Amino acid sequence: MLRTFYRLLKFTFQNFFRNFWLSFVTVTIFVLTLIIVNAMIFMNYVADRALESIEDRVEVAVYFTSDASDTLVKSAQGYLLGFAQVRDVRFVSAESALETFIERHAGDDVILSSLDEVGNNPFGHSLVISAESPENFPFLLEAIETPEYAPFIEEKDFTNYEQVIDNIKTLNDRVRVGGYILAGFFTLVAILIIFNTIRVAIYVHRDEIGIMKLVGANDWFVRGPFLLEAVLYSVLALGIVIGLLTLAFNVLDPWMARYFSGIDVNVGTYFMQNAVPIFGTQLLLASMLSLLTTAVAMRRYLRV
Amino acid sequence: MIHLKGVSKTYQPNIKALQNISLNVKPGEFVSIVGQSGSGKSTLAKMLFAEERPTKGEVVIGEWDISKIKQADVPTLRRQIGVVFQDFKLLPRKTAAENIAFALEVAGEHSARMKEIVGHVLKIVGLEEKANRYPRQLSGGEQQRVSIARSLVHRPKLIIADEPTGNLDAIHAQEIIHLLKKINEFGTTVVLVTHDRDIVNGLKKRVVTLQNGEIASDVARGKYVLS
Repeated sequence: MLRTFYRLLKFTFQNFFRNFWLSFVTVTIFVLTLIIVNAMIFMNYVADRALESIEDRVEVAVYFTSDASDTLVKSAQGYLLGFAQVRDVRFVSAESALETFIERHAGDDVILSSLDEVGNNPFGHSLVISAESPENFPFLLEAIETPEYAPFIEEKDFTNYEQVIDNIKTLNDRVRVGGYILAGFFTLVAILIIFNTIRVAIYVHRDEIGIMKLVGANDWFVRGPFLLEAVLYSVLALGIVIGLLTLAFNVLDPWMARYFSGIDVNVGTYFMQNAVPIFGTQLLLASMLSLLTTAVAMRRYLRV
Repeated sequence: MIHLKGVSKTYQPNIKALQNISLNVKPGEFVSIVGQSGSGKSTLAKMLFAEERPTKGEVVIGEWDISKIKQADVPTLRRQIGVVFQDFKLLPRKTAAENIAFALEVAGEHSARMKEIVGHVLKIVGLEEKANRYPRQLSGGEQQRVSIARSLVHRPKLIIADEPTGNLDAIHAQEIIHLLKKINEFGTTVVLVTHDRDIVNGLKKRVVTLQNGEIASDVARGKYVLS
């Protein structure tokens, strides 16, 4: 059994190297397809991490009118903290808001002089809400509109964040669709190339196949090398892709750490930790695809 | 060894290659099957190693009924029959020894045993010294001897030689016939398909003559009777 397998492997490598350039093109197309698949996984992961990070940072401010007492605003804070969807509610007093405003516009005399004209503190108290998820904000902003608090609410600031998150999600979805189309295209090319490679291999080995049959090789001994060759393409391509990804992550990870400062986007570690599901699935799918294509090519061109 | 009973072979649309052939060949016999081109002799030879199936009738080789043999059993049958062709069917990128070993390799033979058998059959055909030569470095006669050596590796009880001298000059052709006779003397049944008058007449063995797909004559110590 082991001896037969060893001989099948020997014939497989002979097939591979006798049609080296065809094998090279097949593996290259496979590599390109897998690179696109991994680029999609990469983009997906980075976008998810970026979104998670943005979502974590999203805060919504509820501004109260200047006549709302701090007791009323603190009562609203307590009310909001009672919701499971709320992670934190920070009370910002009118005085603190004024200080922040003055600090922010320290060099702007026009604004500061207009403050003087107003005379008193134009700001009211406000609450800064962090939710477990940005999806909870519409509900929370609705919830605070009770008869007790609604008359004192001057403004609720949420829409901008919602837009930003939506934009990122839309962009990510579009990139994903583009990735699917590109991966589909390359998969199709890979199928055609494998089909042709096996067809040529069968043609090149027609004498050998004829002699194999003549001297009593069974069907699987004739078919085996072609099927193993199909698996070999997948294994080689994935090996090359893993090598390229390792190199790419060495360069990309430090750069991305700088670019996404504060966001933990360690793609190399992510791929490493999920190597078995990520690359195992790719190996399985790529092998199945090439085996299936080879089987079709053999059915059509190989007479045993 | 070989029993053919009422064997016919028709190719589409209605080409009758063989018609109602009945023939018995005993173990250890040397039978020449002769006939002109298109007489059906190659079709008959192909049937003996299950390359063709009869449209009608029964073909039995040893214990194998070719008319009913399953596709999966064909390789086992072929390991029990040696086949030699006019065009040698050697792989150009393999040496003489490797070409012979190939038949054992595909059958899963152990490497050490393989080496032993290859050495032995090369000695039978007198090519021990040329074991490492490639087919292009051998004469036509030598290539045919390699082919015969390959057909011997499984110690077959039957050898089918389909025009084995067709590509050879008279001297090399005689060498090959001499070798087949030697193999026959060891007890192997030999079926020689040929249209070479001199070879058939020189053999003084059984001759079955085919004409238009039918047996025209079957003579124990026959001669080539066709014009």
